[in-house]
Amino acid sequence: MATQEEILEALEDYKLQCNSNQRLRRMQKDWSRVIHFICNDTEDTFTMEVIKGEITEVRAGLHGPADIVVTADSETFCDMFWGDLNPTQKYLRGEIQVKASQEDIMRLDAITMIIWPDV
Amino acid sequence: MEEDRGRIKREVLRDFARYIDPMKVRTLKAAGLDIVEDRREGASVWDITGRRYIDCTTGMGCFNVGRRHPRVVKALKEALDLLDTGIFLMVSRQKAQLARRLAEITPGNLTCTLFGTGGGEANDAAIKLARGFTGCKEILYAERGYHGHTGFALSAIGREAYREPFEPLMPGFRRVPFGDVEALEKAISGETAAVLLEPIQGEAGIRIPPDDYLQTVRRLCDENGALLILDEVQTGFGRTGRMFACEHWGVVPDILTVAKSLGGSLYPISATIYREDLLDFFIAHPFIHLSTFGGSDLGCVVALAVIDVIQQEGLVERARAMGERFAAGFEVLKRRYPGLLLEVRQKGLMMGLQFTNASIGPRMSYQLAQRGVLAIYSGNDPSVMRLMPPLVIGEEEVDQVLEALDEAMAQLMKEPGIGKED
Repeated sequence: MATQEEILEALEDYKLQCNSNQRLRRMQKDWSRVIHFICNDTEDTFTMEVIKGEITEVRAGLHGPADIVVTADSETFCDMFWGDLNPTQKYLRGEIQVKASQEDIMRLDAITMIIWPDV
Repeated sequence: MEEDRGRIKREVLRDFARYIDPMKVRTLKAAGLDIVEDRREGASVWDITGRRYIDCTTGMGCFNVGRRHPRVVKALKEALDLLDTGIFLMVSRQKAQLARRLAEITPGNLTCTLFGTGGGEANDAAIKLARGFTGCKEILYAERGYHGHTGFALSAIGREAYREPFEPLMPGFRRVPFGDVEALEKAISGETAAVLLEPIQGEAGIRIPPDDYLQTVRRLCDENGALLILDEVQTGFGRTGRMFACEHWGVVPDILTVAKSLGGSLYPISATIYREDLLDFFIAHPFIHLSTFGGSDLGCVVALAVIDVIQQEGLVERARAMGERFAAGFEVLKRRYPGLLLEVRQKGLMMGLQFTNASIGPRMSYQLAQRGVLAIYSGNDPSVMRLMPPLVIGEEEVDQVLEALDEAMAQLMKEPGIGKED
């Protein structure tokens, strides 16, 4: 199991990777969403806010109404934010559950592809 | 040799990702659908590595006569010795023959044809004709409907993601819920040029309207002087167990659009088929809608061969028979997996399996691909697995698909995230 601090550290790094990638920022400029992450083993929760392609905030807890809700175990989240696993494959095995439109699910995968093309 | 094929596959996927679309490759790979089509025959397609799959996608209804039907291939080969596309402005024997044949096989008084190359183009032409003929601008179309990605057709697409990046689209388009007579009754008026519908919605997840819906739509169109356009790009040419799906309800549209299977997936061709009096618009406005390769002479030869095959090999009847075989299997699956498979929607070999949540469609695609069946969930509703095999599919192949579905569902039952609330 990963701790809340470990996941927050991974999320901060993910934020840095995304925000410093100009190609990704350009690609996502029409995308603003509030994303909730729920750990189904530790019950830790996190919120990420994206405004016009920029991740403006990541923090513990659930804040505001979510456009996207992602549920997985804490280890999976940690690996996902460090770029150590392919989230689509996990999604297709039911290990990550996503409540979102099909377009938003594809956007999340596109972000992974741009920042970690080999995953 | 096997190693070579594996290497070739990797190179193809790499080049496709690099020069065409990396996201497509990534998504297909994750879903186990990253096959590189090689040999194709009947209801089957082989990956370049030699693995065989039963094709239940058929390019969403392109391969009704099966993949590379020998009679259609022969017709095209012979035509290539004599013909080319032809000059689109000129008269051709092949165009005239095909238009006459389409007039014979379509229901009611649909006697005139405008050719194109694809479904979107056929629907664009239908909308232009409706506006031109009636002098009205408003087009009513259905939520979650799908008519292609070209200019007018895109304006009638019922999914925001396809529209939003390109807005503003054509003005005068208004969306109504599919299958809802009251909503249509409120929306339609003397300003309506046409109501554009699929008789059974394909991309939306094989949504079949209530039994009296299309008949009522027909009446409302007549009462308001609007034209009824039925898009049979996916449902046409025997797919639903009738030559055209509108025949299930005894409804004749004013304009019928077809594409996909018309070309036997050997030559792209589409047709906008309309009632004779609408021709007056084109008489008054000759050369107002042109298509360089629409109704190419080669395409017409292929289409004529496709229609011959469908009629002479009894493929419409076969779609009904194989559909019944699938239906019996689905009943068993519904009883076996009530917490996963909620509903089956089916007309002939146009089949949709409604699962519990939106993750299941992609996951079923993956599981089925592992078991030698190619099937893709509905674009506008991923909780629905769409099955549209070629009409030439055999009994044994139907049973193989059912067995793969059974195993795939059994596997999903062991995984997390399969409930309605997940």
